[in-house]
Amino acid sequence: MIEVSHFTKRFGEFIAVDDLSFTIDRGETFGFIGPNGAGKSTTIRFLATLLRPTSGEGRIAGHSVVEEPMAVRKVVGFMPDDFGVYDGMKVWEFLDFFAVAYEIPRDRRRTIIGQVLDLLDLTHKKDDYVNGLSKGMKQRLCLAKTLVHDPPVLILDEPASGLDPRARLEMKALLNELRRMGKTILVSSHILSELADFCTSIGIIERGRLLAAGSIQEIQRRLRSHRVLRARVSDESADRAASILRDHLSIRSVESFDHSITAEFEGDDDDMARLLRTLVTAGVGIVSFAEEELSLEEVFMMITKGVVN
Amino acid sequence: MFFRENPVPARELSVNLRSPRAFALQFAFVSFLGAVVYFAWPKHVEAGRLVGTGAAQNLFNLFFLGQYFLLAILAPTFAAGSITGEKERKTYELLLASPLKPSMILFGKLFSSMAYIIVLILSSLPLMILCYLLGGIALSEIARAYIVFFFSAVTFGLLSLACSSYFSRTSSALLVSYLVILPLALVCVALTRTDPAAEDTVTRDFISIAILPPWCLAIWTIVTALVTRRLLRPPDVGSEGKDVVDEEEEMKFAIGVVIDRDLFPDKLFAPAKRNDLMPDGTNPVLDKELRSEIFSQGTLMLRVVIQVSMLLSIPLMAVFLFWKPDQASNYIAYIIIFNMLVGPVFSAGSVTGERERKTLPLLLTTLLGPGRIVWAKLIAALRVSTVLTFLLTEQLFLAYIFVPQLQAVFWRLAVDLLIIAVSCLATTSIGLLCSALARKTSVAMITTYLSILVLFVGPVGAKMYFQRTIDSRIEEDRIEVFSVLSPFAAVFSLPEANSDETRASAGTGDHAVKASSSWMIVGGVSLPLWSVFLLFYPPFCAVLYGLTYLAFRRRWWRAGIE
Ligand SMILES: Nc1ncnc2c1ncn2[C@@H]1O[C@H](COP(=O)(O)OP(=O)(O)OP(=O)(O)O)[C@@H](O)[C@H]1O
Ligand SMILES: [Mg+2]
Repeated sequence: MIEVSHFTKRFGEFIAVDDLSFTIDRGETFGFIGPNGAGKSTTIRFLATLLRPTSGEGRIAGHSVVEEPMAVRKVVGFMPDDFGVYDGMKVWEFLDFFAVAYEIPRDRRRTIIGQVLDLLDLTHKKDDYVNGLSKGMKQRLCLAKTLVHDPPVLILDEPASGLDPRARLEMKALLNELRRMGKTILVSSHILSELADFCTSIGIIERGRLLAAGSIQEIQRRLRSHRVLRARVSDESADRAASILRDHLSIRSVESFDHSITAEFEGDDDDMARLLRTLVTAGVGIVSFAEEELSLEEVFMMITKGVVN
Repeated sequence: MFFRENPVPARELSVNLRSPRAFALQFAFVSFLGAVVYFAWPKHVEAGRLVGTGAAQNLFNLFFLGQYFLLAILAPTFAAGSITGEKERKTYELLLASPLKPSMILFGKLFSSMAYIIVLILSSLPLMILCYLLGGIALSEIARAYIVFFFSAVTFGLLSLACSSYFSRTSSALLVSYLVILPLALVCVALTRTDPAAEDTVTRDFISIAILPPWCLAIWTIVTALVTRRLLRPPDVGSEGKDVVDEEEEMKFAIGVVIDRDLFPDKLFAPAKRNDLMPDGTNPVLDKELRSEIFSQGTLMLRVVIQVSMLLSIPLMAVFLFWKPDQASNYIAYIIIFNMLVGPVFSAGSVTGERERKTLPLLLTTLLGPGRIVWAKLIAALRVSTVLTFLLTEQLFLAYIFVPQLQAVFWRLAVDLLIIAVSCLATTSIGLLCSALARKTSVAMITTYLSILVLFVGPVGAKMYFQRTIDSRIEEDRIEVFSVLSPFAAVFSLPEANSDETRASAGTGDHAVKASSSWMIVGGVSLPLWSVFLLFYPPFCAVLYGLTYLAFRRRWWRAGIE
């Protein structure tokens, strides 16, 4: 659905984004992460048809971002990281303005504005002036604006900045809801725990280069040559479980402490299932058995420290 | 104490004075003055002989007037943005929250904005001395001129700062400063001008030395008190530091004119707010500009503009329309000057404003094409500026109906109105083009004012200058061509009310002279100057509009915002 190939952007001598390529499939939620000044907003503005590339190409829903900006704008809902609102406008007028700008007929506008206000919990602010809204409210209003023309693709630059903890959770729920509606979402953020929950894939960018892209599991797997298993077993079977694991082919090393066992595992998901079966048939009382995942923070820290390259 | 410990002027001076722009401006200014002197320098002067008395007086006069108006025009451009600029950059609250005393802030702002102008004026001193060397001018005369300059400069600066502290946008502050300062400047020049023909130098000196300074000091005290109070206790601006304008609330405290969107003529420029969705096919940008954004800076600016212009129009109307109807053109000139001031305010900020308020990325990612956006901006700005300007033509209608001399040339009314309308179109088109080309509203505003000044006043000024100083008529003819650019030239080329009587009584001599400058030969056909003006501007504005469209499309709509 979204395709960036060899996108490069220079500001004078400074290379803000260097030869960036990635694809986002239909229905995916792509988390775009990177430290400040990495080039996230630059890439996003390029995709939103607001920035000319120095070189490279981008396509959204088959339309070229550079050649057919109008076709792209029709299918994209864009929320910039830093935006202003018009003076002297009320919330409903603001949404009506953009609905007209997206050429939505009047009778449909009425229902749509009601719906998006409802979705973003702004109905009670309907008649307030937009420039009197708080930052978080404006953030929500802008998201409402991106939804008025019901675009299949959403490009959101740090939608959660300025939101309170409750609103963040709501934003997360909202994005999940939008993904369920089948929208393709590109969302940037540097609050990683926020992205980890609902992104189906992520891209990590630093100093204008894409360091890693793909699903979180895929990236983890690339980061570690082995997987880490963590199991908790019942009191009496702890020793037996440890010895079984030590003898197992796909296990590298085992550490046991009290009732919990950590083991380095090499192999695929089937191997892991087989291992579990072996343990169960051997009569080991298993309380929990799971692969230990790297948190997105750890992934991010490892990658941006240059572990991958 | 103010200088050494005050960070405000220190920072601003280092930014203002060190910039290459400052040097360029100073260079342009001095070379312009140099050129003026060079051309006006008496050709037949012989070494060591003081034959240039008349010429020196002339030059000195020219200098005084020129510099005085330069002062009146430049002072607001530097000072009116100094506090609103902080507001626009959102550093205003940082400044207020700092331990700086309001008087320190005020003084710092005044000093840093006036320092450059004072440097400019002083840099003309050598040329003034040159006039002195020609003879015919006393040193005391020059000193007097600089006293007038000094007091006026500080007064203008303080008034602009006061506007700057009362408004939230630079463009409003700039406009209102001009509306207040230009009439003051006119009065001051009328009272203190250095006319060589004037016999009565005593009154003039008395006014300059004994009356002007105390008045200025009084103004300084009042303005300083008002501004420091405002800085100490800023009005409630809400948590995000922005005014939310509640029109109804504001109208309760309004003094004088009250704007009512439901009544004529206010509804012409400010149609009522919608209480339902826009109908299909509306241009949303146009709707937004007229119904929502027109009062976004509060109604204060518009109310001040309407009141001041009305107030000024009363004496002008009395004199030029009813008492001396043969000089009705002066009243039209006043309306055009008013439009020169007001027109750019609504157009020069229309593109840059969207950029500065960061609404441009929202607007540009919609399905609105560049054509519809630019068109809406043009129409909205044109409508507001034209309606405000035509509010002043009411007096004109009255005069043409009730004054017999004017009744005789009733057809002139139509031409007058056309010239005013075309001027409105021109100021708006130029403003919009500058707005599409500039990055900041303040830059767009100043470029617009300069361009309009050059187009509208330049030809007339150059002609007057050459008529006064150079005998040869060749240059004058060459300059004559540019008169079609100036609505003032067009208005004054119209026959005055009782010109028939003058012709009858004074013979044809005088009339022939006037006629020579009010006719123009275009492609072999001799046309009156005003008709050439009316024919020239509409296509010219269309070209400007085309350029605006291209500039907007290239710079913002396709290329993106950086
Ligand atoms: N107009 C510009 N001119 C020059 N440099 C620019 C311009 N815009 C962006 N940059 C530079 O490009 C780099 C990338 O900026 P970008 O805004 O894309 O970062 P970001 O990843 O969005 O950062 P953040 O997380 O802080 O939003 C930065 O180093 C920035 O300084
Ligand atoms: Mg960013």
